[in-house]
Amino acid sequence: MAELHIIGQIIGATGFPQNSLFCKWGVHTGGAWRLLSGLREGQTQVDMPQTGDMAYWSHPIDLHYTTKGLQGWPKLHLQVWHQDSFGRCQLYGYGYIHVPSSPGQHRLQCVTWRPLGSWQDQLSEMFVGGGPQLRSPDLIYSGADRYRLHTVGMGTVELELCIILRHFDRYGVES
Amino acid sequence: MTSNNPAVFLLMVNGQIESADFPEYDDLYCKYCFVYGHDWAPTSGLEEGISQITSKGRLSQSLVWNFPLDITFKSTNPFGWPQIVVSVYGPDTFGNDVVRGYGAVHIPFTPGKHTKTIPMFVPESTSRLQKFTSWLMGRRPEFTDPKVVAQGEGREVTRVRSQGFVTLQFNIVTKDMKKLGYDTTSTEHSPAGLTRASQQL
Repeated sequence: MAELHIIGQIIGATGFPQNSLFCKWGVHTGGAWRLLSGLREGQTQVDMPQTGDMAYWSHPIDLHYTTKGLQGWPKLHLQVWHQDSFGRCQLYGYGYIHVPSSPGQHRLQCVTWRPLGSWQDQLSEMFVGGGPQLRSPDLIYSGADRYRLHTVGMGTVELELCIILRHFDRYGVES
Repeated sequence: MTSNNPAVFLLMVNGQIESADFPEYDDLYCKYCFVYGHDWAPTSGLEEGISQITSKGRLSQSLVWNFPLDITFKSTNPFGWPQIVVSVYGPDTFGNDVVRGYGAVHIPFTPGKHTKTIPMFVPESTSRLQKFTSWLMGRRPEFTDPKVVAQGEGREVTRVRSQGFVTLQFNIVTKDMKKLGYDTTSTEHSPAGLTRASQQL
């Protein structure tokens, strides 16, 4: 079977309205993929940067997959949250990226978005915070049921991933 | 050395901890160590080190260490690829050494020269009472083991403040990764793809 290694870091996030951010992440794959070792999901630390507007997480990712087919190539989905000084958490963005299919080192930028409520919701959000969240987080990485959503763009998350392939060429797969 | 069926591949790492950028602190030294998976083992070189204390120059704001790294690893499996963990320490106003930053990065994967600038962060107290007592006692929170910054588990409870950068340089040589079937270089935009094509001819 062909093997895929995904090794790297979620470096940090920039372009969000406030700092003190953390990120919940996970990897979604199709049925043919099997995780041999590594963590499939996790949560980063909360960073309050002293200077600059980028929050740094330096969160390591190290995954080892084997696969029988190419369908359902791994996707990384992210949720960026803001934690205020009282420890309350607020959703700041959803995003996903496909794990690159070509071997080598990749610097990736994942754009994020968050759902926008009605104008009443937005007004109350201005004063008391909070905001709408997705009921099923599957929507982050599926395009099937998005058409009723109204969203707004948020910041970007930076990642650095190295892809190592093994035995893909044995099955005639060109990447 | 020239076996046709290698069981392990080698990763040779040469480099240096070049310098640091901490706008608010001076007179810093750093420690480094490597964190790697079960299948990995160092074959030569130093796994840990501690640098000299460096100060900012009159003309430049960067803290230069120029500290050498030189280590070779062997492994059968890329899982658990080594990471270098750097921690920076310096004196506080009372002269006690306190931590000024932790950071970690994977050793580069592809052969060649790489420069990495890694963010450095310190843990923060979670409660206001702790914050106050640590201010009073002149002690700040530290990780008991710096290696936690290279782990993905158990980080959701830590609050950190990033306050500087460390620049590292690496020269990477790998051996037998291709022979074991591992493909780390893209054929699209690297000269390695050209050499491979010419080998097939």
